[in-house]
Amino acid sequence: MSSELITLFMFATLMLLLLTGQRVFGVIGFVGSAAALLLWGQGSSELPFNAAFQVLNWYPLITVPFFIFMGYMLSESGIAGSLYRMFHVWFGPVRGGLALGTIGLMVVISAMNGLSVAGMAIGATVALPELLRRGYDKVMVTGVVQAGSSLGILIPPSVVLVLYAMIARQPVLQLWLAGIVPGLLMATVFCIYIYVRCRLQPELAPALPVEERRSISRREKLLLLRAGFLPLMVFGTMMGLFLTGVTSLVESSAVGALLATAAALFSRRLSWTVMEETTRKTLAISCMFLWIILAALCFGAVYDGLGAVRAIETLLLHTFELDPWGILILMLLSFVVMGMFLDDTAMLVIVAPLYIPLVRTLGFDLIWFGVLYTIACQIAYITPPFGYNLFLMRAMAPPEISLGDIYRSITPFVVLMVISLALIMVFPQIALWLPNLYSGR
Amino acid sequence: MPRPIRAYVHYVDLVNRKIGRFAMLLIFVLAAILLYSTLSRVAFGVPVNWVLEMSQFLLSAYYLLGGAYSLQLDSHVRMDLLYNRLSPQKRAVTDAITILFVIFFLVVLFRGGVSSTEYAITYNQKNYTSWAPPLWPIKIVMTFGIFMMLLQAISSFFKDVAMARGKPIT
Repeated sequence: MSSELITLFMFATLMLLLLTGQRVFGVIGFVGSAAALLLWGQGSSELPFNAAFQVLNWYPLITVPFFIFMGYMLSESGIAGSLYRMFHVWFGPVRGGLALGTIGLMVVISAMNGLSVAGMAIGATVALPELLRRGYDKVMVTGVVQAGSSLGILIPPSVVLVLYAMIARQPVLQLWLAGIVPGLLMATVFCIYIYVRCRLQPELAPALPVEERRSISRREKLLLLRAGFLPLMVFGTMMGLFLTGVTSLVESSAVGALLATAAALFSRRLSWTVMEETTRKTLAISCMFLWIILAALCFGAVYDGLGAVRAIETLLLHTFELDPWGILILMLLSFVVMGMFLDDTAMLVIVAPLYIPLVRTLGFDLIWFGVLYTIACQIAYITPPFGYNLFLMRAMAPPEISLGDIYRSITPFVVLMVISLALIMVFPQIALWLPNLYSGR
Repeated sequence: MPRPIRAYVHYVDLVNRKIGRFAMLLIFVLAAILLYSTLSRVAFGVPVNWVLEMSQFLLSAYYLLGGAYSLQLDSHVRMDLLYNRLSPQKRAVTDAITILFVIFFLVVLFRGGVSSTEYAITYNQKNYTSWAPPLWPIKIVMTFGIFMMLLQAISSFFKDVAMARGKPIT
């Protein structure tokens, strides 16, 4: 069998087994280790364990539990709750204001959270019930929460960009800086959409009643601003230390987790229950994430051995004779399509090593590609049938939101994300301006 | 289900829960050594050479020892498009079959771990760094974590079979 056929066969088996609903890490690991044994026999029986050792040697992975911890500390301690109240009160008078406020909330949460899990948890448990109670259209607000929380993987600290940085051998700092402006751009695009839509269809989003607005005094409004101050201070201190080079990436993540705990303590919300919940959920999500990476590395090692990188390069460059931009678009498209079927973390570990050498050959900027990649991942995160956010949403959403609502809700946001992606492709400066400014280029 | 199987499920779940609760705390040890090395370097100008590798070892211990507990908590993502539409009993039937694939993966992983650990012990394998720690202790911890994950997966298998037969083990 040729290596293309084997690769194809592996992917087909993978998809089929994934459809049975077995845990993703187990399915990927099984296909990887079984293929290795079939191809190379006993000699490759250590291949899966070597993948575990590769995980050990990927030093920046240590940031994973800390960035997850930060996010959960924010949601479990209820700091996120008062943050939501702040946005609620300040944006309330505007039409569609609570939805706009939710996007704002998601941006702040993204700045304290490495994955989209915590954003999702806060969105589904704090923001959604409140929005529904206020008579907001359920399809629209479900989309708002999903799209908003997906910003978590683009706005630093971002675990996806850390993972990308390791695979592409690019500095994490540059990638994080490159993620900031596109992240804010996307948030702005979402806001414009919500605002315009609520203008055109006021019934979707009733404004806060006048009496309710009056009942909140100015003093109270100002006091609520404090809620926003704490997370920004945690983010500012952590990023400041990292930017000035005082602490390394991994050290910064530990500092961030410490500061998040201190913030909870400071606002008198730190209890044993909060600590226990945060620690347990951090372990659960970190284990899920790291076991998937372990399995994906094992899977990736197999077709790395098959020389699939070379095969794909030949296929795209010489067989299809595509121009660089054609290849780039094809690659991003394949992320979105594959992301529909494959877990997105696994996709990153499996596919990125195939594409990055090609991107380098084509002469594209790898930092810029990292941002495009992450946005493609975001799209994959929220598109059915397999989206990480969809998966979480199903588990956490209030019962009146049906699966159909969740699926319908994302359509406009996917369109908006594709538009943002296209903008950043055409104007690389959106992503590269900040990192270049920082490095003085 | 026969009594020995019920006892197996009971004790494996119990032990793995304890190990998982312990692994959960490793994140604090990890944070502590990282903060200690930061403080030592930034405030006193004394770099600590063992923290880098120690933190890598701790992360591996964290997710491998915690793996079985995370399986108990059912926190591993699934592609639940079709799975979600099945009745609990049909889910158990599918799981009882497909978990055999997971068990296969874990067995290969475990066997690799054992032979890699044997090698590390026989040749006293070390990292080529200034601290130069021997690698066998962490390899033993990793292999042990994988072994407990395997036991937990087998326990899940028994639970799925019981559920599929309509007599769940609680």
